[in-house]
Amino acid sequence: MIGEWIKSLDSLLRGDATQLASLKKGTIEVPTNGLLFLIIILGAFYGACMACFAAFSRPAAGAILQMLASAGKIPMLFLLTLLVTFPSLYVFNALIGSRLTLHAVWQLLIATLAVMVAVLASLGPVVAFFSVSTTGYSFMLLFNVFVCAASGFLGLKFLLFTLHRLTVVLDEQNKPVPSTPAPISATPSTPAPANPDAITYDMPVPALPSPASPQGALEKMEGRAFGGNVTAIFRIWIVVFALVGAQMSWVLRPFIGAPGLPFTLLRGRDSNFFEAVWRAFWQLMGA
Amino acid sequence: MYSFFQHADQILRGEDDGFSLGRSVRYCVVFGLIYGAAMGCFGGLGIERWQQIFYSACKVPLLLIVSFAFALPPFFVMNTLLGARDDFASVLRAILETQAGLAIVLVSLAPFTLGFYVSSANYEAAVLFNLAMFAIASFSAQIILRRRYRLLILQRPIHLRLMWAWLACYGFVGVQMGWVLRPFIGAPNAPINFFRAGAWGNVYEVLLAMLWKIIT
Repeated sequence: MIGEWIKSLDSLLRGDATQLASLKKGTIEVPTNGLLFLIIILGAFYGACMACFAAFSRPAAGAILQMLASAGKIPMLFLLTLLVTFPSLYVFNALIGSRLTLHAVWQLLIATLAVMVAVLASLGPVVAFFSVSTTGYSFMLLFNVFVCAASGFLGLKFLLFTLHRLTVVLDEQNKPVPSTPAPISATPSTPAPANPDAITYDMPVPALPSPASPQGALEKMEGRAFGGNVTAIFRIWIVVFALVGAQMSWVLRPFIGAPGLPFTLLRGRDSNFFEAVWRAFWQLMGA
Repeated sequence: MYSFFQHADQILRGEDDGFSLGRSVRYCVVFGLIYGAAMGCFGGLGIERWQQIFYSACKVPLLLIVSFAFALPPFFVMNTLLGARDDFASVLRAILETQAGLAIVLVSLAPFTLGFYVSSANYEAAVLFNLAMFAIASFSAQIILRRRYRLLILQRPIHLRLMWAWLACYGFVGVQMGWVLRPFIGAPNAPINFFRAGAWGNVYEVLLAMLWKIIT
C-alpha cells in the first residue's frame, strides 16, 4: 500500500506520471488519497525537523510539545492553504474556458503539493542540523522561510509545466481532425455531414507526438510555447497561493519556537508574515 | 593494501571503473584520519596532547561523511525532479569519487601542515593555513567532479546546473559542519574537549555580524 504510494510519488518526481502518454485521459493518474497520506507524513517530518530549534532552547517538556505541534501544523498549513484557494481556482479555471474537470484540477493540485512536500522533506535533515547548532532565532526563521520558498517555487513550477502538458493533450484530443483534402473534381453537391462534431469525436484520437527523449517533470516541450488564459489564471493563482500560504503560516505560528517564550499552540492575532520576516532580516543583519 | 593505493591513483587519473560507496567511505575515513591527526599536532606530541590528536583525527572523516549525508537527499530529489534520475548512478559515482579525491588530496597536503606547525607557533596562522589546505583540496577535487560530469552534461545540459546545486548545497552544510565540529586544531593552552565550550553556533550568523561591523 504505502510502497505503491511512494512509487507514485516517485513517478511524479521523475516526470513519468506527467508524460504526454500518461496524461491521455486529461488527468494525472495518481492515487490522490495515498498522496495526501504521504503529504501528511512528509510534512510532519519537516515540522519535527523545524522544531529541533526549540529542543535546544527550552526545557524538555516544552520542546517535545513544540515538536508535536509543528509536526501537526506543517501538513495543516499546506492542506488549509489548498482548501482556501481551491474553490476560487476551480471556478475561474472553468470560467475562462479550461477543459480541466474538477477532479483533474484536484489531482493536479494534490500532485503539486506532494512534489512541494517531497522537496521540503528532503531538506529536513539539513534544517534539523542547522536548528540544533544555531542559537540565533532570526537566522533560523529566515532559513526556514528560504527553504519553504524554494520548495514552493519548485512545486509551482511543476504545476505550471504539468498544466501546460495537460492543456496540450486536451487540445490535441478536441481538435477537429483535418479531413483529407477532397479532390477538386468531386461533385460539389456532396452532402455535408449534418453534425460535423459527431464525426470528429467518433474518429480515433490523433496519435500524440511522442517526445524523442524521456522528459523530466520540469522540462519544456519542444516547440510549444506557454500560452492561453488558463496559464494566466494559474499564474495569478500561484501568487494568491503564496500569499495565502505565507499568511496561513503566520496564523499557525509558532513553528520554530522563539527561545524565551513558553510553549503555546497558537499565538494571538497581531502583525503579519511579511513584517515579521522583514524584522528578522534586520535583526540578523545586526541593526 | 597495494590495491588500496592503486585505486587511489586510478581515482586521481579518472581511470577507476569499479567505484562504490564502500570504497569512497574507506578513503574518507583512512585519509581523513591521517590528515586530522596531522592537524591536531599543533600543540606538540606530548603525552597530554594525544587526546587532542585523537579527537582531531576523528573529526575530519566525520566532517566529510556527515556533510555528504546531509546534502545528498535534497540533491537526489532535485535530480529526480529535473529529469536526470536515470543518470543518478553515474552522478552518485561522480560525487563519491570527488569525496574520495578530496581526502586523497588532503592527505597529500598533510606534510605541509606539519611543516608549517614546526616553523610557526602562531595559532591564528595555523587556523588560516589549515583553511587554505581545505580550500585547495576542495578546489582540486572539483577536477574529478568536472571530469566525471563532462559526459553527463553533454548528454543532458541540466547536469551543469545540478552540479552547481550540489556544490552549493554541500558547501553550505559543510561550512557549518566545520564550524560546529571545532576545534580541529586545538589551541595549546585551552582545555581539550571534543566540542569546544561555547563554540555551538551558526557560522553564517557570525560572518554576517562581522560583515555588519565592518560596514558600519
